[in-house]
Amino acid sequence: MVKGKGAVIVEACGLSEGNCYDFCPRTRLDVPALDQFVFGSQRKDVALGSNISVMKARTVDSEIGGVAQYGGVVSALVAYALDVGKIDAAVLAKSEDRISGEPTVARNRKEVLECVGSTYLACPTVSKVWEVTKREKGRFCVVGTPCQITAIRKMQSSPNVRTSLKSQEDKVSLLIGLFCTWALSPDVYSLISETVGGARVLKVDVPPPPANIFVVHTEDKVFEIPLDKVRRFIVPSCNVCFDMTNEFSDISVGAVEGEKGWNTVIVRTNTGQELLQAAHDAGFLEVRPLEPERLNHLCEASLTRKRRVLAEKDSEKVSYLLTTDEDKSRIIGEQEAH
Amino acid sequence: MHVTNAESKKRVLLMGDEAIARGALEAGVNFCTGYPGNPASEIIDTLAKAAEKFGVYVEWSVNEIVALEAAGAAAASGLRALTAMKNLGADVCSDFLMTVNLSGTKGGFVLVTGDDPLAHSTTTELDTRNYARLADIPLLEPATVQEAKDMTKFAFDFSEELGLICMLRMVTRLSHSRGVVTLGPVQTQKKTAEFSSQEMWTSGSSSITCMLHSVLHEKMRNAESKFEESEFNKYVGREDAEFLIMTSGTGWLYSLEAVKLLNLQNDVGILKLGTTWPLPTKLLTTHLKHAKEVLFIEETDPFLEQNVKIAAAELLVDGIAPVKFYGQKSNHVRGEFGAGTGELSVDTVVKALMGIRKIEYSPRKSCYAEKVQETVGSYLPPRSMSFCAGCPHRASFWSIYKAIKWHGQEVIVAGDIGCYSLGLLPTGFSVEKTLHCMGAGLGVANGFGNMKRFGLDKPVIAVAGDSTFYHACLPALINAKWNKANISFVILDNNTTAMTGHQPHPGTGVNALGDSSPRVHIEDICKSIVSDVRVVDPFELQNATQNVYEMIQTEGLKVLILRHECPLNEPRGWQEKPAVYVDQEKCVGDECGCVRFCSRVFKCPGMTWDYVKRKARIDESICTRCRLCADICPQGAIKVEETT
Repeated sequence: MVKGKGAVIVEACGLSEGNCYDFCPRTRLDVPALDQFVFGSQRKDVALGSNISVMKARTVDSEIGGVAQYGGVVSALVAYALDVGKIDAAVLAKSEDRISGEPTVARNRKEVLECVGSTYLACPTVSKVWEVTKREKGRFCVVGTPCQITAIRKMQSSPNVRTSLKSQEDKVSLLIGLFCTWALSPDVYSLISETVGGARVLKVDVPPPPANIFVVHTEDKVFEIPLDKVRRFIVPSCNVCFDMTNEFSDISVGAVEGEKGWNTVIVRTNTGQELLQAAHDAGFLEVRPLEPERLNHLCEASLTRKRRVLAEKDSEKVSYLLTTDEDKSRIIGEQEAH
Repeated sequence: MHVTNAESKKRVLLMGDEAIARGALEAGVNFCTGYPGNPASEIIDTLAKAAEKFGVYVEWSVNEIVALEAAGAAAASGLRALTAMKNLGADVCSDFLMTVNLSGTKGGFVLVTGDDPLAHSTTTELDTRNYARLADIPLLEPATVQEAKDMTKFAFDFSEELGLICMLRMVTRLSHSRGVVTLGPVQTQKKTAEFSSQEMWTSGSSSITCMLHSVLHEKMRNAESKFEESEFNKYVGREDAEFLIMTSGTGWLYSLEAVKLLNLQNDVGILKLGTTWPLPTKLLTTHLKHAKEVLFIEETDPFLEQNVKIAAAELLVDGIAPVKFYGQKSNHVRGEFGAGTGELSVDTVVKALMGIRKIEYSPRKSCYAEKVQETVGSYLPPRSMSFCAGCPHRASFWSIYKAIKWHGQEVIVAGDIGCYSLGLLPTGFSVEKTLHCMGAGLGVANGFGNMKRFGLDKPVIAVAGDSTFYHACLPALINAKWNKANISFVILDNNTTAMTGHQPHPGTGVNALGDSSPRVHIEDICKSIVSDVRVVDPFELQNATQNVYEMIQTEGLKVLILRHECPLNEPRGWQEKPAVYVDQEKCVGDECGCVRFCSRVFKCPGMTWDYVKRKARIDESICTRCRLCADICPQGAIKVEETT
């Protein structure tokens, strides 16, 4: 991964389906096969993907809560897993400017806290996972966007990949997925610096709809940029992304629309379930049911995205996506499923 | 070592370059300088080993012109001085050579050049004999290792006698061949250098120059008359042979052998010339009188061929009958790549004689080649030259290669002279796109980096080694700064002059004798010229790549020193490091989704293939434990042994 350029093939191997092809989330993505690999069954929920439960949660840890973007659930889960030794390290994104992230390995609560907050440029997290699991033994957690988690699942399901990435004990054993709507190209820096001048950016946020703004906090001021101006900088690949809620993670976390300080949480696997339960029991989290209207809204948002991708006129762009005809018709036809 | 230990009259086996060193010691040489380069490096290497014992001053100089100038000063002070260099070195020092021929010498002053026909380890087949003619100085061409020694000793005496620098031309086959040499006594008498303030040592200007030029001509007339009687010229064959081979250097033994093979001893005479400039005209006349046909056998250029033809034209006036000449011009003497290219061999002479004299000759049965192919053909796969196992240049070029890929657009990489010239080849990922002479990488980058106004707007990387940096890069670096060239200058610092045999340079902290000497730090020099100077270990692949990438993103002049010691600097030093091995359980062999990235892309000779298990394997006998392969294996199957 090159900052601002995405993936670059350095040495073409001549294989039509080598590792790059095998791992990339934008090459052949067989959704039913990956569902089977991750969950052992096919998805029943076409809107949110396989899941055990959906809820809202927030951290009760004031240290995390004080700096978290929303409910601090991701940081709390990682900090808890490290605290109790469920994992040895977590690959997270750390940001100097709250816009772009650098992948980093956190091994304790302090290092997790350094990574709190969202970033808006694609971060080469997977390359860090690749690098660190090659060198080190142990149980790793990865926090990533849908494409990153998908890539790791594709690696785990690949017959040739080294075992250190497999989802077993002593390997990459926990995948926490972030909700994601798009990432921006680094060209957005020109827009930000035009807006804030030389001021130091403290935080960037895209509040859930209907806000439709890109908010930049500096020391003295909060700038609101219309989201349409920012959309010009969306990485093209994001426009064909089918997955808003990180459908192959163990547990997915996003914002709650219309309610500050809370996260939406989708528990997908037993690993995710156990972690959430244990963190809750240990007093790291507060959990509540997600209101039906909010759940419906989330499903509709996800379906809208999927419908948009399925309706993509340039079929070449979405040819990577293999899903069943049944699921497709359900996506197109499903209205207010929840 | 025979050169320093053997007594007089003893017969010993010496390499050509060692024989030169011995000849210099027998001549009582006092001051020796040079710059390493194939095939001449071993001359100074050998003299350095003898320096202490015989009280000789020996230095590796920063480049050839400084070497010749320093030796020139010693010779002008009455000492005997020798400078040795490869053919391209003669280009570097030619500026001084073209003036010191006029200013002359007091002590014996000998320039030894090592030419490299077939360019085994050189970027040109330059024939330095032309410099002797250009500078108008005496030229000697040894034909055997014994002659290499004897001519060197003679050259000192002769130079002193004439008051003129003498040149001795070696070629790779002679420099690196071993032959039996009868030694003479080493002269060890002490000499005092003297250069008085009353003296003038100059080539002058205007009328003084012309006067000195005239003096030079007189010296050369003197030289020619002495050469008429030289024992280094000899004739074999019938006194009235109508067919004559004229030869010099290695051509002498090849000619003898070819004539014998073709059984032409009774028909063909061979005139072997050891003193080829100025030519001994009277001697030539003697033999041209009985010859009707002359074949020239000499390495590289038609030097003898042209000069003898000129002499023969003059002799026509004296009634010498017209002679038919054969050689490169007539295309009878030609190598694989045509006349005047490649190396001479017995075959070259045999073929020339067969063509001229219409002789049929086959040294072996015609089916021989087919049988060879049948028997061993499959065991001798063609192999490209490669960086050694553990070479830091492999890592450096990978970083450059990767950074260019990251950049995603064309980048011009100008190469230079050293092991890293292999950056042109797949072992260096074919990154380099230009290669000429020492310092030319940064020099041409000055042009490439200043053509944006003409539409050539590509990042430019110039690559140079540490020794090359000191040798030839400073003017180009200053020029780049002065004229605002856009260049990322990458210095590959492996703390040695590796390609020529690990000679020290100004950055190594030792001199030619291995004694401690002040280091001249590359970054100190660069920082005084360029503001952006970075030093990175190329084995930190990611960091090195990132730095190259950042540099090519920005305009201006930047310096990146990729510093990692050549593993051959400390033979077997790597044995202290943890071993690197392939965990064959983890290696997925042919199933590797990157198609054996380790050996296919990295091509480290230490990375081999286990044909039984069909997995990667490390050849422990040459692995230097650099760990680079462990970094790049996609599967993490290459491991570094854990130490306690």
